[in-house]
Amino acid sequence: MVEIAVTHRGSEFARVVALLDQFGKDHGLAPEIVADMQVAIDEVLTNISKYAYTDNAEHEIHIRFQVRGNVLEAIIEDDGIAFDPLTIPPPDLNLPLRERRVGGVGMYFVTQLMDNVVYERRGEVNHLVISKRINK
Amino acid sequence: MDVRQEKIGEVSVVGVTGRIDSSTAPLLEKHLTENLGAEKVRVVLDLSRLEYISSAGFRILLLAAKRADDTGSRFILCGLGGKVRQLFDLGGFLDLFTIVGAREDGIAAVQ
Repeated sequence: MVEIAVTHRGSEFARVVALLDQFGKDHGLAPEIVADMQVAIDEVLTNISKYAYTDNAEHEIHIRFQVRGNVLEAIIEDDGIAFDPLTIPPPDLNLPLRERRVGGVGMYFVTQLMDNVVYERRGEVNHLVISKRINK
Repeated sequence: MDVRQEKIGEVSVVGVTGRIDSSTAPLLEKHLTENLGAEKVRVVLDLSRLEYISSAGFRILLLAAKRADDTGSRFILCGLGGKVRQLFDLGGFLDLFTIVGAREDGIAAVQ
């Protein structure tokens, strides 16, 4: 298992991507699996960065990656407002260019790219687990 | 992510290598804003060396396509590989952009 904490402001999200690259190498994961997790993590972090905090303080987001059996799992925790990202409605994919918004696509990517997504509010913490089968 | 720019005749070809995500999207935005700054310009975005793109990147591409629309410009994407094409498809973006196969097709299509 590896862990990392990054500021919610986004300036350190690239460190998470780099950590996943290394983690993928260390565990012999297929680049495709690592890429799906990197996209999903970027969406989750972006979401937290945009919506979780109403104050101006800096907050830490904690992320853990682990391989459990046949599954690559990421656990993301933030101390923002209670919010279940699975309640975001899926985007309307049929709108023309002028009316398309990217909002909503991010969490949709997460649910589509991952095999399992579970949200829980634990005390003052949003606890999100996203996982993908690695089919070794 | 690395961005490489080339001018072929009247056509600006912008090639992206690596990943487009929330960390790298601002750099792509800068390049596309520069290239689509004038009226009636022609821009081909070559994504053949792109590994993946997250919604932060799609936001920039949508803005670029709208800007091109507003200025009578042409903005064409080419070289979508397996993973990248899958993400375009998942997000329902394949129909929103003009997408061609190879870079040469893109350059020919905007002439």
